[in-house]
Amino acid sequence: MSANPGAASSTQPAGAGPGPAPNPETIVEFKNVWKRFSGKEILAGVNLQIRKGEILCVLGPSGTGKSVTLRHINGLTRPDEGDVIVFGENVTNKSEEEMAPIRRRLAMLFQGGALFDSMNVELNVGFPLREHTTKTPREIAETVAEKLSMVGLPGTQRKMPSELSGGMRKRVALARSIALEPEIILYDEPTTGLDPLTSEKIGHLIVDINQRIHTTSIVVTHDIVMARTVSDRLAFLHQGRFQFIGTFSEASRGGHPVLMEYFRSMGFPCGTGLVQVVKDL
Amino acid sequence: MSAPQGQFSGPQPSATAIFYRNIRWLRFVDRFGRRGQAAMEYLGGMAEMAGQTLHACFTRPFYSAELLSQLDEIGVKSVSITGITAFSTGMVLALQTAYALAAFGGKMFVGRVVALSLLRELGPVLTALMVGGRVGSGITAEIGSMVVTEQVDALRSMAVSPIRRLVAPRVIATVIMLPVLTALADLLGILGGLLIAVVELNMTAQDYLGSIWNQLAISDIMSGLSKTVFFGFEIAVIGCWNGLKVEGGASAVGIATTRTVVLASICVLISDFFLTKLFLAL
Repeated sequence: MSANPGAASSTQPAGAGPGPAPNPETIVEFKNVWKRFSGKEILAGVNLQIRKGEILCVLGPSGTGKSVTLRHINGLTRPDEGDVIVFGENVTNKSEEEMAPIRRRLAMLFQGGALFDSMNVELNVGFPLREHTTKTPREIAETVAEKLSMVGLPGTQRKMPSELSGGMRKRVALARSIALEPEIILYDEPTTGLDPLTSEKIGHLIVDINQRIHTTSIVVTHDIVMARTVSDRLAFLHQGRFQFIGTFSEASRGGHPVLMEYFRSMGFPCGTGLVQVVKDL
Repeated sequence: MSAPQGQFSGPQPSATAIFYRNIRWLRFVDRFGRRGQAAMEYLGGMAEMAGQTLHACFTRPFYSAELLSQLDEIGVKSVSITGITAFSTGMVLALQTAYALAAFGGKMFVGRVVALSLLRELGPVLTALMVGGRVGSGITAEIGSMVVTEQVDALRSMAVSPIRRLVAPRVIATVIMLPVLTALADLLGILGGLLIAVVELNMTAQDYLGSIWNQLAISDIMSGLSKTVFFGFEIAVIGCWNGLKVEGGASAVGIATTRTVVLASICVLISDFFLTKLFLAL
């Protein structure tokens, strides 16, 4: 199932320079981005173009900088070198206040949900609406109910985050993320720690939301089954660079030897039989 | 006959030994430098956050609901701990003062000594230390666990400033409530002294209160209360900064909480000296 097949594109050479002028449909662009933590290189010249409307899954072993890459898009982390361009604006050196208008058009689903402990579900989901709109409390309550229904949790407004399971927390967090109907949603490991059924539900939600509110989705995940289900393109991050960018079928035909090694390390046999093995799962 | 010079100085150290000795020194200087740099970065970051907080206190948007909640959390819920501390301190002060002044027949000055000590020094400092322990650590633990669970990043990602949403209401609430708590503590401390004066020292309440009332100047009250505005700012800024700087998991929150209590107490005691000098000079 592909949310937006038209958005799929061919492989981009790893570590390539800034290259030609960005595609008019490009909504996020990384240009030779470097990031070090305590002297250790995490990103070493990342180049990536993300198209409007697509679902891009970022795969890679733990600690390779997938979440760091994601956090560069909304400015939670800033690059040491290179440029990150979002909605045509270079966000590399923007202050927190200058980032505010861009962040209002973005949303992020954090790994643990990051719901506010002191607020119930209704206040959590309505939080961005209270902050950034002039809606009345009644209108906010209606929007909250609508978003909770979208994620399959109607009637949970009065519950506190501590009363929710891991999967419910992520779905409430997803409802909060889509409250302002953002143009880009960043998913940081949305299925980590969840059972396969709940993971599948989350995968379907990502595609459903992508189609219903016409958003661009960037999903950092280890879940290859979900990546196959939801992604228009895969981007495989290894040793600080994207070693492969392309569709799942391209990857399964032997997109890159390191990616094949990654699939094997995740318990999938590599080579031409991969697609069938994944389908069988 | 004297030996040639240098004969008793032993064998000269080898070039390798000199090299390693110098390396040890260099390592010491390097470590000292790194720690100094880390301390400067820590203090610089805190000063920058304090500046941003002051700006946020006077510009929109204001989070009045959060401020009210913090006034309750920081102020109302600290009344018992600061009240008990001040009341018992007032009682002890009255006993000790009476014991010391009895030799000179100065028992009638007990009220005055108790009141002046409490109003000018003990009330503000003890209240600040108790609030620093209870509120400062609470602020660090709360904000620190929000950092660990990515709630602070969630705020930033939703274009909400953590300085405005989390720090400013806590700083304003502490700055408002610490003088109020101190005034209450002063009153309770004097009442504690009164209890001892009447029950233990056989004084009348009129004598005790009269000695305070006749000698008390408004500057005695104001100098003490004014200091607590600065103490409140210090405690809240240190608490918030240590919370925002938490990196890692639950153990990091614990370490940051301890650091807040230690640093807030030291800052209160050191700044008390300079503020006292300042207010005496005014």
